Amino acid sequence: MSDAVVGVVANPLSGRDIRRLVTQASVFPTAEKANMIQRMLTAFGAVGVQRVLLSTDLGGISSAVFRAIERRRGQDGRWPEVEFLDGQPIRQTAQDTVDAVRRMVAAGAQVIVCLGGDGTARVTASAAGDVPMLALSTGTNNTFPAVREATVAGLAAGLVATGTVPADGVATRAKLLEARVGDRAETALIDVAVSTERHVGSRAVWDPATLTQLFCAFAEPDAIGLSSILGQLFPVSRRETHGVTARIAAGAAQQVLAPIAPGLVVPVGVSEIEPMQPGSVHSVGARAGVIAVDGERELTFEPGEQPTVQLRADGPLCVDVPAVLAASARLGLLRRPPMPGAQPGFPRTDRLGGAT
Amino acid sequence: MTDTVERRALTREQLLSVYRTMRAIREFEERVHAEFATGEIPGFVHLYAGEEASAVGVCSNLDDRDTIASTHRGHGHCIAKGVDVSEMMAEIYGRRTGSCHGKGGSMHIADLSKGMLGANGIVGGGPPLICGTALAAKLKGTGGVSVAFFGDGASNQGTTLESMNLASVWNLPAIFVAENNGYAETTSSTWSVASDNIADRAAGFGMPGVIVDGFDFFAVHEAASEAIARAREGGGPTLLEMKFTRYFGHFEGDQQTYRAGEVEHARAELDCLKRFADRVTETGDLTQADLDAADAEVTATIDRAVDEAKAAPLPAETDLLTDVYVRY
Repeated sequence: MSDAVVGVVANPLSGRDIRRLVTQASVFPTAEKANMIQRMLTAFGAVGVQRVLLSTDLGGISSAVFRAIERRRGQDGRWPEVEFLDGQPIRQTAQDTVDAVRRMVAAGAQVIVCLGGDGTARVTASAAGDVPMLALSTGTNNTFPAVREATVAGLAAGLVATGTVPADGVATRAKLLEARVGDRAETALIDVAVSTERHVGSRAVWDPATLTQLFCAFAEPDAIGLSSILGQLFPVSRRETHGVTARIAAGAAQQVLAPIAPGLVVPVGVSEIEPMQPGSVHSVGARAGVIAVDGERELTFEPGEQPTVQLRADGPLCVDVPAVLAASARLGLLRRPPMPGAQPGFPRTDRLGGAT
Repeated sequence: MTDTVERRALTREQLLSVYRTMRAIREFEERVHAEFATGEIPGFVHLYAGEEASAVGVCSNLDDRDTIASTHRGHGHCIAKGVDVSEMMAEIYGRRTGSCHGKGGSMHIADLSKGMLGANGIVGGGPPLICGTALAAKLKGTGGVSVAFFGDGASNQGTTLESMNLASVWNLPAIFVAENNGYAETTSSTWSVASDNIADRAAGFGMPGVIVDGFDFFAVHEAASEAIARAREGGGPTLLEMKFTRYFGHFEGDQQTYRAGEVEHARAELDCLKRFADRVTETGDLTQADLDAADAEVTATIDRAVDEAKAAPLPAETDLLTDVYVRY
């Protein structure tokens, strides 16, 4: 059997954009991103992952992990062999994530963990193909990635990568939105918004007055970000096959108070809410503007161009962490043989509280 | 909320002015690069080419109430704040007609009438200055904002860190613009800046820190617009980190053995002027003819500035003791 390999890609720029200035969005320290990777390495090692492919960056994450590996001592537990994906130019753009994920896929990673916000998850998904991904939140807006302890996520990723828990039952296929302007296309995992802003600029969307249309692959009532607008009016879960779309206008009859960005709860006018069926193509009504995917402006369009948005069923495969660990509990995968001399079925009180 | 978009919406005339200013900086620097090689320019020069979107993206949000402090790489900031390019060129040539009568040179171009507190040979020298002018603006209630541009090297200096602390404690209308071009002289910022992202340091001073694509005028303009509006309204200081590459060496004559390939990639793929031109012609706000006319106008202006500078007199012995003391 081939080695169990996990890819880990961490975005050094996540949690650093203009939303720190225009709202009170969180700052996710580089040191914590590096710590999360180290906690995952411990979990990977514990469940038998042999090799980890780690993205490299100029933001200090991979170098901190490198130093931690150098400093490790024998009694710290087994870590897998870590291969740093260096040797390619680092541009400090989303392309770095794409390049790293492609290399992980080519090298046979069974699971790819990404650390970032919604934007990082979106970019990872675009390059991961059919390799299951696990998105952990270290970004600004975190509807897609889970806010979850990295050690536990690492156990789940490791159990899937080693084949201990087969991916079939615990990786679910996400939906996807595709926005298209002529031959340019971008995908979104959560929402596509049409904005009257003129430029991509600082990318973030935080002013509801600029929005004219919204498309959501899913819209959860407890979401943060633009999908929260429809999450309170027409909830759609991740597992349902349809999505939802609506027009946005300040003067619309229906008004909803929505947390459209961290630190921002604003009234938004909504009309013409309707479900989106997979495969159906929806037209963008505005003449010119910018299309934002998962809350970040990406595609500009000019008069005469007719952007479209389509809901697709073939999104990324996503590792369901609770499902993996529930399967592990059910099958007793993390149980270990009793220590010599222990009474079966009784807690080993002689060891409780003591050093092991 | 709508006013945020209105505030940063740029008219055709403003876009043309932005282009002309960025082009003027590029042309000025390319010309100084060529002229320096002839040996006629005294002292050192540090060129700003490649970084134009930062100076112009920030300064296009400023007006006469506002002041800026610059660095040893100061030509771009001077032009963006409205300092006369002929006087600047004369200053670089050490001529009596220069901004500082030829006694400052490249690293000491200043024009207080334009709110330009000076290029600065001291690494980290600018941030303390803007705490002073920001405090003055706050006490006088002018609504003025002060901006310090500084590099990744200066981001490690005590003066810069103390200034950020003071600006936060005094809630000053001060903007700290870290221009991270990747190298402090020849030392990589990924080695020398412990936090790697300079913007991360903002958290330690209780101010927002934002990373901006320094090659994209619109990204810089938007971030600066928000930070400056916030500062004018009493919201306090902000740290903006521009990430980009300088096109020339640290100084003219630098062999640049510490880097390879970055400049070629940046010039071909990321260049701020090219991106700006592509975008404004795509939207139809400006035509290629508009841009060509601006290019010709800028080239003529720089040609004239160089000719005038070369023809101008050097300072005389009698000028030695002028401008030494200031009477308040």
